[in-house]
Order: sequence, then structure tokens, then C-alpha cells
Amino acid sequence: MRETWFLFKHFWKADVRAKHGIAGLVLFAVSTVYAVYQVVRGRPEPETWNAMAWVILLFTAFNGVSRSLEEDRPEVLAYLRTAVQPLHFMLARTLHNVVVLSGLSCLVVAFMGLLLGWGNLDGARVGGFVAGMVLTAFALGTTLTLLALIAARAGAGFGLTAVLGLPLVLPTVLVSTTLGGELMRGVLVADTWHNFAFLGVLTLGSGVLGAVLFPYLWRAS
Amino acid sequence: MTVKQHMTSRGVQATRLLGLVLLAYTFFMTFTVPLGPGLEDVRVNRKEITNEGGVYELEVVGHGTHFATSSPKVFLRRGEHIVNATAIKSLDDTHLKCRVRLPEFVPAASFDVFVNGAGDGTISYANGFFAEGLEVLSKARIRSDREVLNHLAEEDLGFHFPFQPNIMESIRNLMLHVPMWFTMFLLMGISFAQSIRTLRLGGDEDRDLRAVAAVKVGLWFGALGLLTGSLWARFTWGAWWVDDPQLNGAFVTVMVYAGYLVLRGSVQDPKLRSRLSAVYNLFGFCLLVVLLMVLPRFTESLHPGKGGNPAFSSYDLDSALRAVFYPAVLGWMILGTWMYSLALKLERFRTRRAQVEGTRALVPLPVLLVTPASTSTFEDFFVASGKMPVVVGVAAIIVLGLGLWWVRAVRELRRLQSETPDVTSTPSNSAK
Repeated sequence: MRETWFLFKHFWKADVRAKHGIAGLVLFAVSTVYAVYQVVRGRPEPETWNAMAWVILLFTAFNGVSRSLEEDRPEVLAYLRTAVQPLHFMLARTLHNVVVLSGLSCLVVAFMGLLLGWGNLDGARVGGFVAGMVLTAFALGTTLTLLALIAARAGAGFGLTAVLGLPLVLPTVLVSTTLGGELMRGVLVADTWHNFAFLGVLTLGSGVLGAVLFPYLWRAS
Repeated sequence: MTVKQHMTSRGVQATRLLGLVLLAYTFFMTFTVPLGPGLEDVRVNRKEITNEGGVYELEVVGHGTHFATSSPKVFLRRGEHIVNATAIKSLDDTHLKCRVRLPEFVPAASFDVFVNGAGDGTISYANGFFAEGLEVLSKARIRSDREVLNHLAEEDLGFHFPFQPNIMESIRNLMLHVPMWFTMFLLMGISFAQSIRTLRLGGDEDRDLRAVAAVKVGLWFGALGLLTGSLWARFTWGAWWVDDPQLNGAFVTVMVYAGYLVLRGSVQDPKLRSRLSAVYNLFGFCLLVVLLMVLPRFTESLHPGKGGNPAFSSYDLDSALRAVFYPAVLGWMILGTWMYSLALKLERFRTRRAQVEGTRALVPLPVLLVTPASTSTFEDFFVASGKMPVVVGVAAIIVLGLGLWWVRAVRELRRLQSETPDVTSTPSNSAK
């Protein structure tokens, strides 16, 4: 546990120190929302709003997980292989991605609310939507972390992550768009709990799968 | 079991023979198994609306029915409201005419149409009658004649298969379309197991070849499942593709496994490739289970077996169909494993050859099967006569698709065998 926490802080520091990492992601999210605002011009239909929010989150997530940290240099990885267990590395990496993506999802929603209004969302439903976004970020983070590591190991990067990842995150996207759509239609937050539960199960399932499978990627040869 | 030894043992040969026999039985029975009667269409020939209500002249079209000899009774039902038809006249075994009288206000616009007769039992057409021209009032009551129900013989009240009017004869596709997916599950399961063993052994190349061979054959079955399903959907649901969790799940699953092949293509080192693709394969199989077996049950779906629609319950399958369906599944699965062993042979040859030549063998692109564009004559042909031609179409797609695979595989195998004389019968790295 302490090892995981230490590695997480290590990744976090590396990310913050590099600055362009997180700043680039924020810029990507903000400028995408702004581009959507320019295209839509004004208040979009609730369904459009919903679809836009999830698509922007999805693309931000792909960008977020598949960028390589400065600490991913081969020398550093070779050192880490001798120093930490793969499980801890994986957990820390997943945690890092989840934290970054959660922050980004909140940012995306806030910025969309600012520029494009809130669609049909009001009161508690805004909270429900944000919670859904964050939970989606959790599920995306856990699923995509493993795929990004596979792609990195294959020496390919963003393109391969997208090819491998898009079908795999589809269940998550389906559940979360359903959730968003229900909230837009005025369903009470309490009546959409099964979507939250499903997102939780997806997060947990892909997290466990990632933790089990990652050690096989970790080996040097 | 068919792949342990390179030489096919007698048991394997017997199993394959059994598979072929089962498939021959399947193809024969698919087209000849008798189906129960059903209603094909209910038409309003003439209507007369007055202040007191409406009188409708109906023509009921049956399929495999015996209207001429069974002295049928016809009634409409919506909830507890039952309307008897009068002046029933059987034109022949599959056509009858009758008249219904409805009051000015009806509780709902559409009614289910029931026909009951000796021998045919009760057959129905959901929402077959639309009370056009009358006013819908939820409080409206129709004086229901309970006597009809009392007069029906108990044993005749059972519904006969297929009572879903839009499926009809195309239910025969069950023996062709559904086993495609079952076979794909089996092959992906084999691939899953081989990937686990790949990882256990820390990146075993021969296990990896087994996994990829199973995926390639499984993808072929998946593609055929999609094509046949698409054709079937066109004639029961009216569109080549509908937005449905089961269909989306199937499509995404095929995409995931296509991604598996892409991933393999982008890694050069065989040991690393075997490990990376095994990890992805395990992930993908879990997703397959989620997408095809879990998610569709939580959402509404048109597809049978999901979203509360039964598929294999006694409502939908009678024992005559079961007697064909289960052997069919077994037959297709045996064929699938046979193809898998052939594909494995091919993969091993390719790898050996690539090692001999020092390059990676090129994987030939699969030939894309394209469903013909919809033209009216084409559709007329398929829609006519109880949709039996859809079964022919589905069978043709499968026979063509699998035939293509076999021709290609055998030709490729022959070519590799003749061009690489230095390859002995077993590859050196399969030391199990």
C-alpha cells in the first residue's frame, strides 16, 4: 500500500514537474469544448449536449492515458522493474490516471456548463451528471491504463491505444450515455442508481483484470 | 482435442464424420422440419363507419393452417375486451373472411387477432387489427362475449409455434444463424484458454499460434453471424441493422478481435507479441462475456433471449425444432474445431516459413462479403411466401462464407506445403 502511494506520488510529481503534460490535456479539453461551442453556437439540444459531453470526455481520456510520462524512459523503467512489484506499479499508474481523468471530466462539465448551458439539467441532476462523469472517468481510467501500457510496450502509442481501446470502452460509454440521457429526460438521480452501480462494477472488473494481467507485461523480455 | 497430434487420430476422424453427418441432417431438416400454423396477415377489405360504430370486413391470411376443415372462430382481444367475428367464411385452407362490429368508442386502437380451430389450436397475430375511424377512449367498454372462451376446447387453447407473425418460416434460420455465435463463443473460449497458458508459460509461441488460429476462425464465424443476422433482421424487423444492445455487442466483439489482429501486426518480436496479445485477448474475452451475455439482459432488446424476450423457452421452441437445433449446434461446433485445427496447421506453416525466410509471412486479407444492395425485385423475392427465401439466403451466405474459407485454407496449405519442402510435419517449437 505504501509502495503504491509512493509510486503514485512519484508519477504525480513527474507529471506536475513536466507541466506540459497536464497543461496540454487541460488545453485539449478546453479547446475541444470551445470548438464545439463555436460549431453549435448557442444552446444545443439536450441530447446533443449529452453526446458532446461524453465524446469530449472519451477523447480527453484517450489523450490522457496514452501520453507518456517523462518517467517512462527505458532507463527509469529498467530501474523500477528491479525496485517495485508490478502490482504496485499498476495500481499507482491506474490511480494516477483515474485522478487526472476525474479532474478533467469535472473541468469538461464545468466548461460546457459555462459555454453551452446545462441542457435540461437542474439542481440535483447537475450533481448526478458530474458524479456520472467522474465515475465514467474511473471506468475509463482503469480500462485504458492497461491498454495504454500494452500499446506502449508494443512501441505504438496513441493510434494503437485508440484502435484497441475504443471497442473495449464501449460498455462504459453505453452505460454512461444512458445515464446522461436519463438525467436529461428528467429522471430522478435516485432512479438512475443502477447505472452508477454498473459503472462501479465495470471499474472494479477492469481494475482487477488489469492488476492480474499487468505482471505479464512487466517482464523485461 | 483435435489438435494435440499432428496426425489425425481415428477418434478425431470419427468426430469429424459425426460433425458432417450432423450438418447434413441440419441442412436437410432446416428446410423440411414441419412448423406449426400461424397467422401471416390480417387485412381490412372494407369498412363502414356510422354513428353507432364500425363494421369491418376482414381477411385473415394463415400459414400452414386448415381453415377449410377446422371451422375456425375468430375474435379480437384487447386486455379483457373480446369481440367476436361473425359471418366467418373459409375461402381455402389459408384464407378466411369475417366481419367484426365495434362500438363508436373503443378502449384502444389496436387489437390482437385470434383464430381458433380444431387441429390448428389458437393462433394469434399481435396488434393485427387497427380500428381505423373509431374514437379511442380509455374508459370505453366493449360488451365482451365470454361465451367464446367457454366454447374453446381446453387443449386447443395452447398456442402453437410460431405464433409470432413476423418470424414465421424464417425461424428455420435458428439452425443456421444462432450456432454461428455458439461456435464463435467456443472458439474464443479455446483462444482464451490458450492465452492463459501462453501467459503461464511466460510467452509460449506455439500456444500463441493456437490462440490466434482460434481467433481467426472465430472471427470468420462472427462475420457470418453478423451477415446472416443482418439479412434476417431485414425481413423480420425491416432494417439491415437496428440499434439494439445485442447487435451492438456482437459488432463490438468482432471489432475487439479485429483489434487483436491489429495488435499482433504491430509487434515484431514473437515472444513479446505472444504475451501482449494474450493479455489483450483475456481482456477481450471478458468483454465478450459482458457485452453479449450480461449487458443485453439489463436493457431492452428486440433480439430474442434478451430484455425479457424468451428464446429457448417452451413458448418459442417446440420439440420438433429442438430435435434439430441441438444437433445443429453440435455439428457446427465440430466443424468449427476442425477448421481451427486446419487454421493452426496454416499458422504453424506460416511461422516456420517466416523463420526459414527471415521475414514475417504476409497474412492474406480476408475477402469481404458484401450483402447485395436492396433492389425491389430482390426484396420481393425474399419477402414472398412466408419468408422461406430468407432461410435460403442465410444458408447461402453461410455455405458461401465457409466454402470460401475452406478453399482458401486448403489452397494456402497446399502452396505452403509444396513451397517449403524443408518443413517437417511437426514444427520444432511444439514440444508438447
